[in-house]
Amino acid sequence: MEKKSVKFFRRFTLIVFLVLTLIPLYLVLVIAFKSNKEIFSGNYLLPSLTPNFSNMKIVFESAPFFVYLKNTAIVVFGILFLQLIMIIPAAYAFARMTFKGSTILFFLFIIQIMLPLEALIVPNYQIINSMHLKDTLISMMLPFVGSGYGTFLLRQSFKQVPKELEDAAIIDGCGHFKFLWHVLIPLARPTIMTFSLISIATHWNDYLWPLIITDSQSVRTLTIGLGMFVQQESGADWGVLMSATLFICLPIILLFLILQKKFLENFLTSGLKG
Amino acid sequence: MKKGNLMFVLLLVFVLTTGVFAESVELSFYYPVGVSGPLARVIDQMTAEFTELHPDIKIQPVYCGNYNDTMQKVQTAVMSQDPPDIAVVEVSELYSLLAMDALLPLDDYINSENEDFINQYWEAFFGNAVANDQIWGFPFQRSTPVFYWNKELFQKHADELYAVGLSPERAPKTWDEVVQYADILTEKNGDDTEVYGLILPGGWNDWIFEAFVRQNESFLIDQENSIANFDSQEALQALLLWYKLTNEMHVSPPLRPWNMTITDFVAGDAAMMYYSTGGMPTVRKTANFDFEVAFLPMHYTYGTPVGGGDFHIFKGISKEKQDAAWEFIKFMTNPKNAAKWSMESGYVCVNKEGYDLPEMQEFMDDFPQMWTAANQLQYSYPKMMAVNYQQIRKIMTTNLDDVMLGNKSPEKALETMQREIQKILDMYNR
Repeated sequence: MEKKSVKFFRRFTLIVFLVLTLIPLYLVLVIAFKSNKEIFSGNYLLPSLTPNFSNMKIVFESAPFFVYLKNTAIVVFGILFLQLIMIIPAAYAFARMTFKGSTILFFLFIIQIMLPLEALIVPNYQIINSMHLKDTLISMMLPFVGSGYGTFLLRQSFKQVPKELEDAAIIDGCGHFKFLWHVLIPLARPTIMTFSLISIATHWNDYLWPLIITDSQSVRTLTIGLGMFVQQESGADWGVLMSATLFICLPIILLFLILQKKFLENFLTSGLKG
Repeated sequence: MKKGNLMFVLLLVFVLTTGVFAESVELSFYYPVGVSGPLARVIDQMTAEFTELHPDIKIQPVYCGNYNDTMQKVQTAVMSQDPPDIAVVEVSELYSLLAMDALLPLDDYINSENEDFINQYWEAFFGNAVANDQIWGFPFQRSTPVFYWNKELFQKHADELYAVGLSPERAPKTWDEVVQYADILTEKNGDDTEVYGLILPGGWNDWIFEAFVRQNESFLIDQENSIANFDSQEALQALLLWYKLTNEMHVSPPLRPWNMTITDFVAGDAAMMYYSTGGMPTVRKTANFDFEVAFLPMHYTYGTPVGGGDFHIFKGISKEKQDAAWEFIKFMTNPKNAAKWSMESGYVCVNKEGYDLPEMQEFMDDFPQMWTAANQLQYSYPKMMAVNYQQIRKIMTTNLDDVMLGNKSPEKALETMQREIQKILDMYNR
């Protein structure tokens, strides 16, 4: 009997959270296809019977959103690719090798987690500008490549692999990279997946840095396009704003839905490892 | 002979190509978009037209987000010795840019035009462009706060308004009338307020508050930006009025974010609001009722600060580029383009001659509310300016928010503002 009530309570809580999560998405979807007059007529909760595509039209007329989408995808996955190349060896070195100054170096990596991006904008700008990389796709990736957070996360997970495994691998003739590739990476897969997820979601939403380091439409990203519809002085044009939001969220929501099962697995296992 | 020919051809090619390169200039133009609508596209259009007229000058318009983002981008670029050629920033930032020695004074350019040139423009807008006896900016997207009212809600309460000698056909003219109207127009259902009589918006309430202080014939920061004047009786009187409307009478909601204010007004949840002229096209496009726009109600006098963004030309770029930038500014503010920008955005047309154009007259006949802002300019003052204005703004909005939420007494809030803001002013006035 008690078991049943626990089950019910759990279900109920989950449903409450589900509804809370879905409401904003639902509103975006509904309002995106309403005309302005309709939004303020008191009937903004129900989907319109005659969907209105004029908002979408305004969005695509205002800026080249498909170019933005392409750029965002390149930047986000470019960052992830470079990050992985960078942090996997770094985490390996910090986790399994002892060398002079390793503690201090690791400490420096950790400090980086605490520095907000805003504090680094001017020096980052100067470095990128002196390399003549301003206003390019790569300029939006470079500052994020050496992720202290990712290195830390991976180091912890590499550290948990028992020493015996390493000894066995060395006896079998593995060098550093072979051991990394054949033993550590497969074992740390959940952590790597978790980190990738967080990285994608974070950089999909980057706004200030891309805005400052790029000038041309041809390299800019989705969030800058969305910024055009969030107005300070006149108040927002909700229909258009929601249309743009829908277009920007959709790819990433779809990505997460498709890979959902895999992600959940990884989150759970990585959680267990603590 | 053959060799000589070749040399000649090469030389000719060289001269021609360098000649072309020397004449063609490319300018970067940083601009914010503060109001809704596909304005980025309008800017693209206007710059393209400019290049058609001046094939040797190419403009790259760079959209930079809102006013704060734009200022950040400009500052980062200037600090990295990579300034833009032209930028539009919020008018209160002038002293911040001057402290970085970033701007070129425009006096020489203005003086080189004929005498009538400068008379085309509203004088009121130059108050925010002048510092140390020189002109550093040129008006582009300029606004003032105005008073919006919902005609339908006024009609609904006509009898009650008539009963106390007020009329549903006009907006309140004085502070006292604002209180009376707001009281009558507020609709309560038990403890729930269904319609607020008035909204004093948050977010840019520093700007609105300055208007109230101006209506008291006082100021908040002096023109030389060295004295903060927040602890005056005039400021206290203004803030006490805000406190009364929000916390004693509950006829204005405690705190509404800036862009939710317009949503509330359009949805009919508030009968009157203080808001920027930049909101007019949005209200017109979205409201399902008739609305009117009036001067900000007076106390001892009518008064309002102007606001918006000005053009600036930057130091650290070649003379050629600066000259080209001036050509561009003249083009963007000529009667035709100023009128076009005003019609698209709801900003005041900075060029007075723009109002004489047939297309503008037709537009204004159809949308007479737009006249209010232009007419109100006779009672306008420059918006306060200071180095690091963003910090000052932050202090003001935090304290004003606290008063509206009832967390701080008006006296205490003004005392805090006076102390903290004077400290910021002193930092740059030694």
